Amino acid sequence: MATTAEPRTFVRPDGKEKVTGAGRYTADLDLTGQLHARFRYADHTRAAIVRIDTSRARALPGVLAVLTHEDVPDVRYGQLVKDRRLFAKEEVRFEADIVAAVAATTPELAAQAAALIEVEYEPLTPLTDVEAALSEDAPLVHEDWASYEGDDALGREGNVLGCSTIVKGDADAAMASADVVVSGRYVADGSQGAPIEPRAIVAQWQGDRVTVWSSTQVPFMARSGVAHVLQIPESRVRVIVPLLGGGFGSKCDFHFEGHLAALARAAGRPVKLVFSREEEFVAPDHRREGMVIELETGARRDGTLVARRGRLVLDGGAYCGEGGFFAQLAAMHACGPYVIENVHIESRLVYTNNQPSGSIRAPTAPQTCWAVEQHMDELARALDLDPVELRRRTLIEEGAESPTRQVFGPLGMKQTLERAVELIGYGRELPDGEGIGFACGWWPSFGVESGAYVKLNADGTGTIVTGAQENGSGAVMGLPLLAAEALGMKPEDFSILYQDTDAGPWDMGSSGSQTTLNNGRAVVEAAREVRSRLLELAAGRLETDAEDLELADGAVQVRGAPGRAVSIAELAGTGATIIGKGSGRVPDTPATSPDSACVGRLGFESFLEPQLITHAVHVRVDGETGVTRVLRVAAVHDSGRILNPIGASGQVYGGVVMGVGQALTEATQFDEAGRQRNPHLLDYKLPTAADAPQIDIAWVETPALDGGPNGSKGMGEPPCVPTSGAIANAIAQATGARVRQLPMTAERVWEALQ
Amino acid sequence: VSASLVVASSVEEALRELASGARPVAGGTDLVVGARQGKAPLPERLVAIHRLDELRAVREDGTLRLGALVTHAEIAAHPLVRDRLTALADAAAIVGSHATRAQGTIGGNLMNASPAMETGGPLLCFGASVVLRSAAGTRSLGVGELFAGPGQTTATPDELLESVEVPLPAEATGSCYLRLEYRRQMEIAVVGATAVLTLDGNHVADARVAITALAPTLRRVPAAEAALRDGDAGPAAAEAAAQLAAEAAEPISDVRASARYRRAMATVIARRAIEIAAARARGDDVPIPANGVF
Repeated sequence: MATTAEPRTFVRPDGKEKVTGAGRYTADLDLTGQLHARFRYADHTRAAIVRIDTSRARALPGVLAVLTHEDVPDVRYGQLVKDRRLFAKEEVRFEADIVAAVAATTPELAAQAAALIEVEYEPLTPLTDVEAALSEDAPLVHEDWASYEGDDALGREGNVLGCSTIVKGDADAAMASADVVVSGRYVADGSQGAPIEPRAIVAQWQGDRVTVWSSTQVPFMARSGVAHVLQIPESRVRVIVPLLGGGFGSKCDFHFEGHLAALARAAGRPVKLVFSREEEFVAPDHRREGMVIELETGARRDGTLVARRGRLVLDGGAYCGEGGFFAQLAAMHACGPYVIENVHIESRLVYTNNQPSGSIRAPTAPQTCWAVEQHMDELARALDLDPVELRRRTLIEEGAESPTRQVFGPLGMKQTLERAVELIGYGRELPDGEGIGFACGWWPSFGVESGAYVKLNADGTGTIVTGAQENGSGAVMGLPLLAAEALGMKPEDFSILYQDTDAGPWDMGSSGSQTTLNNGRAVVEAAREVRSRLLELAAGRLETDAEDLELADGAVQVRGAPGRAVSIAELAGTGATIIGKGSGRVPDTPATSPDSACVGRLGFESFLEPQLITHAVHVRVDGETGVTRVLRVAAVHDSGRILNPIGASGQVYGGVVMGVGQALTEATQFDEAGRQRNPHLLDYKLPTAADAPQIDIAWVETPALDGGPNGSKGMGEPPCVPTSGAIANAIAQATGARVRQLPMTAERVWEALQ
Repeated sequence: VSASLVVASSVEEALRELASGARPVAGGTDLVVGARQGKAPLPERLVAIHRLDELRAVREDGTLRLGALVTHAEIAAHPLVRDRLTALADAAAIVGSHATRAQGTIGGNLMNASPAMETGGPLLCFGASVVLRSAAGTRSLGVGELFAGPGQTTATPDELLESVEVPLPAEATGSCYLRLEYRRQMEIAVVGATAVLTLDGNHVADARVAITALAPTLRRVPAAEAALRDGDAGPAAAEAAAQLAAEAAEPISDVRASARYRRAMATVIARRAIEIAAARARGDDVPIPANGVF
């Protein structure tokens, strides 16, 4: 079943313009009469606002709008909890809370005006330690949390924004009877998506309708957000995304589009915002959440996992944003893709005065997997078992039961492990200071509504009109492969109209690795409707039954009689309307047992068609400095059937390199007040091309029974899930030292070796 | 945004602009990036010197004379630098990224006066001097006298760095610049060390050691040099000298490392630099940049 990826030559339609620099991004857009926006951010990370005086800013010539909370509807927004206003009103809660916004004729004037706004505060002691925020006498980040509109399943209580448990069997009793018990505490710093394109937004009103060009991953969510905060119907908001220069999750969620739409309305002119690099670090409510992860696992001598207890605390930062579901997702990752007889996990997402957390590529998974996989290696050591052998005995397979008693269908988890063992050459002698480590992880597929149209043009080419968003992963760019397959055409024959909320059907956006899974099905369904229409038209022309016809090589032909054919161009050129629409059936969430006493159920208590991953990593550690170099990564994924190998491999290469950064160098460091100390690319250390290891990829293609087109699953997020865990285990193999803080910087490795 | 930019077509014109308050720009890799990052706004007036070809020359007459506009990439590739001033090649080859090295100049690097600059330690150890020119004339001063503090030089605002002069060391000299690096490109030194050793047979006739990013300015470490002199430059001597180099450090704790780690790394990096310099002095072939070895 396992096949090694082979290159395919389909060049993504947006590839050339991106590579040559011809592509146009939001920041490249300039409109006649356009003004420039600037935000006035909080002067404290936690303070009561006593007074805001904008008169000096308003008096500055060239300033056309200055807005505060008084100038917009008094509504809160947020996905699972509505806890934030466009402009801070009573209190500021983190360093980049927005107090006011300015639109002026030049960026310099806008900056000057923003600085002229006088804000009087009563400073309060910021709450920046996530464990301290849990204590009984901790001040509340949101005094009025109980009055906020929020999802009842979150289990909110004071600073706890979300609480989730997984309880299976009796973990305490099983732990007491285990042959071997290991425990460990792991702490992960927060990190960033760090897209190379800082976000940009342009808003323009025409009559009572506003068009917002935004570098967002979720245009439909941006549209509903603008409508909500301005209290106008959604139909009056159009969101267009020019080329998007990376997101990695950090451009999910509605946010700054609301400020720009409000500024443009107040000024009566188009307004543009382009973030500086520092703003791109500090202002988005998107940081990969810092976590404290405490694990205890009991096993029998043969490796059987009889019990796991876990306590997880996640730093949610100042606002919910779109990250309210993190506690439950982290709880699932604390179990991992293993068979565990008894489980008791408690996971809490907690408000602090730090930058809000939000989805960054596979939220909660890399950090939790990093902890769990080190913990598994520590258990293997205590059992005197090889780490691979322990995983071999405990990973899930078809028919296994999850911690919430979901019963799995066919899946290739164990096969990914075996293939990674082969690829990395495990077991051979290594030079001193080198080591090989393994980590296994998983990530759910997300079934949601999605839609597309396919229409044929008079020259016989096609256009896919989709609501799906391309964030760079190539998921939208791969849609022509699916349409072409259904219609016997070439993928190059299709153009794509996308990233415009007035054109495509609603879509969740580029999040949850869901584009191919859901929009792929929609495109296939739409193409099939086109196919029926073509067969119907051709049947008339060829004087035969539609059932006797087939589509191949750009023509409709009579089966078994290649001479009797009519080209698609000929049919489309008649002026006949040839259009199909599709949405595809949304897969059901797999059943869980009601007796698994979980709280905080937000839909992640079972994993639809999980994507399964093993990474094996070969590192060299400089024992004197602690500097770790990743030499080689073997990445083996079961993401179901692979539809576009070149695109899928691209996701793995990028995800692994992101994983290397998260493992070794990437961390947002806060000072005691919760201000970022390294909001720039010199000291927030992304790996460079020169740091990228050799990456060998293999696929285990277990067809998904209830997934995307042709048995596929999602692909975008999983590649960064187990990388840091495998690196951690490789460091331990190489040095004998465990590093229980993420990232495992040179200094932390060195400290562990002292 | 600067209010004015004059592209000088002669050194004299550039000097007139400087005298009337303009600041020079060549590669712009510190100035422009710093302004974007909010470190310091762009000066009101700029004079661009990038077209002054006379500042681009490399001459050799027992002393290597590098014009201010010579780029890091050119230095790293220069055969004489690689052969005789190897530590300078080690340093120039790891400044920033490929783009920084193609664009950034030695003159700008020196006048930016960062205590973390890569090329400063080697220049200090090789006894290099800089030629500063103003409308009033030229003067020469040692690289050590140029640095006044982080980002500060002893040059007056109307002076332009015209060239850097590096005397070629004696035969049987080996040198090395090494830094602690967390990643392979786009890196800034957290700890750096330079060693220049001249051998007489098996004994050290002359030794120079400098530390980088470990004090407000780059500094030589006379105690470490003295410890190496007349010794065999073997492992024990290298370790002893490296510890003296670390003792001369005034490390700080910041976002890049703790003072404790910096001090410990000062010993490791200095020892390795000394060992590689000794190996090169003996004729061993150690790749450039030396950082690539680790």
